Amino acid sequence: MSDVTEYDPWRFAGSFIRNALGSQIPDSPFAGEIPWTPLAKPLVQARVALLTTAGLSLRDDEPFDMEMERKNPMRGDPSFRRLPADATSDTVVANHLHIDTGFIERDLNVALPLDRLRELAAVGVVGSVADTHYSIMGYQGNDASTLEKESAPAIAESMRNEEVDLAILAPV
Amino acid sequence: MTTVTLNMLWPYQRMIGMPRVAAIEHPFGRPYGDVGDAATQTAVLRAALEVADTAKRGEVVQLPFRWHEEPKDTKWHPAEASPIIAFIKKRRESKP
Repeated sequence: MSDVTEYDPWRFAGSFIRNALGSQIPDSPFAGEIPWTPLAKPLVQARVALLTTAGLSLRDDEPFDMEMERKNPMRGDPSFRRLPADATSDTVVANHLHIDTGFIERDLNVALPLDRLRELAAVGVVGSVADTHYSIMGYQGNDASTLEKESAPAIAESMRNEEVDLAILAPV
Repeated sequence: MTTVTLNMLWPYQRMIGMPRVAAIEHPFGRPYGDVGDAATQTAVLRAALEVADTAKRGEVVQLPFRWHEEPKDTKWHPAEASPIIAFIKKRRESKP
């Protein structure tokens, strides 16, 4: 590995992606109100849920709609899926047109580390693993309103119903 | 709901204003680590939990992980260009 000390968010993305996305990001810090909910209990007591944007669904569930995006590149499937805590790469499928999903299909933990979370709960790093975890499909094109106004609140309500204390969101 | 985002494109914090960001320099598709690399997956997950527990409001915490491959050897692209990428490239090619 090369001896680099600086971290570069575009190191693996390539110049095309860097130029396409980077130009949209302002140079100045975020000036709006940042939402804030402190952890209500120590981590060792906290129930943790995971969310991925990898377009994961159970094999017997309706998959994320890739044809929608193929027909209109400005639109992505805004729905979400529930994944049980014992989901594995054998029980889920990944539908996402912007990444190589082969890695997730071989090891779910690269994007939704349920095995790792279970292990950490077993040794007391966190209190417990939520029964349900979540996937959205990260590409929303130029309209994320359905995701924001319908899917996100539904996910939050589902987490509250399961008394989730902490959600780890990991875009892919 | 307390949340932390494990984010490979952490500059988006300047646009979005997430509560807490654990910034990680990993390739798209594998935020927690590579296939079969349980040690890295666990370490990244633990680091994200630590950020959730200790970060200040709006803080971006750079996680100290280096991907095990050079960018030129790291595969993450889909087999076919995504529809939006294909659209952009086609539009650029059609411009005089």
